[in-house]
Amino acid sequence: MSAFSLYVDRNSGLNRLNPLTMLALIGFCLVAGLALPGAWAPYAVFLLAILPLAAGGRVLRPFLSAALKIVLPFAVSVTLIQGLFWTGGTPIVHLGPLSLKREGLIFAAQSTGRILAVLGSFLLLALTTRTDALMIALAQHGAPKSLTYIVLATLQIAPRFQAKANTILDAQRARGLEVEGGIGRRVRALIPLTIPLVLGSIVDIEERAIALEARAFSRSGPKTSLLVLRDSHMQRIGRWVLVGGMIAAVILGIVLRR
Amino acid sequence: MIDIQGLTYTYPASETPALNGIDLTVPEGQLCAVIGANGAGKSTLCYAIAGFVPHFYNGTLTGRVTVAGRDVVATPLAELAGEIGLVFANPFNQITGARFTVREEVAFGLENLGVPRDDMLARVDAALALVGLAGLGDRSPYALSGGQQQRVALASVIVMRPRVLVLDEPTSQLDPVGTREVFETLAGLAQAGGTTVVLVEHKPEWIAVHADRVVVLSAGRVVLDGPPAEVLAAPELSGYGLAPTRYTQAARLAVGRGLAPGDRPLPVTLEQAAPFFTDRVSP
Repeated sequence: MSAFSLYVDRNSGLNRLNPLTMLALIGFCLVAGLALPGAWAPYAVFLLAILPLAAGGRVLRPFLSAALKIVLPFAVSVTLIQGLFWTGGTPIVHLGPLSLKREGLIFAAQSTGRILAVLGSFLLLALTTRTDALMIALAQHGAPKSLTYIVLATLQIAPRFQAKANTILDAQRARGLEVEGGIGRRVRALIPLTIPLVLGSIVDIEERAIALEARAFSRSGPKTSLLVLRDSHMQRIGRWVLVGGMIAAVILGIVLRR
Repeated sequence: MIDIQGLTYTYPASETPALNGIDLTVPEGQLCAVIGANGAGKSTLCYAIAGFVPHFYNGTLTGRVTVAGRDVVATPLAELAGEIGLVFANPFNQITGARFTVREEVAFGLENLGVPRDDMLARVDAALALVGLAGLGDRSPYALSGGQQQRVALASVIVMRPRVLVLDEPTSQLDPVGTREVFETLAGLAQAGGTTVVLVEHKPEWIAVHADRVVVLSAGRVVLDGPPAEVLAAPELSGYGLAPTRYTQAARLAVGRGLAPGDRPLPVTLEQAAPFFTDRVSP
């Protein structure tokens, strides 16, 4: 039971990038995919930027499998619902009493593309970048350390929280609590499960705060890091180029939409 | 090193004081064990030495607490952190969750203190070796057993090299071998390193061997204070809800049945018990 993380260590070029460079790269894919006009822009970003990056990072297989698992059900349902029930559209295919409308299909393709671009970007970040490295990098550049702490601690504590919930569930069942059956019984069973979980977590938070203080968490002054983050002049330039690219994509999007 | 004068403290939502007129002076390098029944004020005393009482819990405090020359009540917690180390019983809540490996977790306190990276690596590995976790540096701290997590918590504080180390039941999750190792580590830190150790524990056999001094708390007051051989064999111990060591219990039983003369001090360790029982048969 370790941290909740998708990171795969492939010792690839992307793994070696500074987390902030990776973040800028993902930000650029995201902004370009969403800001550029046309139903096909997100697909173009996905095929021309995100997929090659995933391949370059040697995470193509887990990337595609996770992306398909999430996007495919969405694509199927949005295509059927919007295609069949678009009001006042142009029917192109007739299926008995129903028909697929052109406008509905375009809308479905557009939404699927956007989901693909957004999900693909974040998935690529999660697969190639260590969350702790990203948070340390952000903290070094002035992000509030309590914020970066919350992100990191949540990733690690969520699996433990689930395990604790299961322990409480087992304990209450051992005392005869019935958790199976009708909806009424299940809802009633929630009370003796949530109260110990919530109260226990409050006590945990207090102790955790003490433990953090005892480790000088709130001390001001310069901090050091055991984890070494690689960075270079080229990467710094690259990050600014990507930020420029994001601005350009937004402006281009506004101009082309007119 | 620790100087407590007339310390009385009451938690915010409470009527009765958790600590009531405590006077306690612990010299540098002493391993001072604190024992007492549940609710006697042991944990509160730990928090008071480390500054969490009153800084973290608020409440009303009178008296003086001076640790390593600093007035604890007047010094912010962040400044006390490197000087006074605090380890408590629940290992899971002491893993900060801020770092993903054991080595990084132990280094977390040093990162906050701004220790240079090269120093940090050496100190972290030394601390891990000291608590017997040398091979586990790259594991996730959450993937360890309770006993191993407790050792991580101990290493995480020892690595900061505090002048005063306060431990509230640090062996609660450890097996007998682990308990012995932790006691030996603490005794070593006190003797060789000059660290002042205040240790709350429930295991009288281990306290008898390793502590320089035993303080008994009851209802927020110091009721007994002295060397282990004296305090742990004191007849009034059971009146404070505490059990003597099994050596003392056996010796008391032997004296009660006329199997051993009652004019000798009762043993508190195995080493003392052996002559106590064998001397009876020799002429």
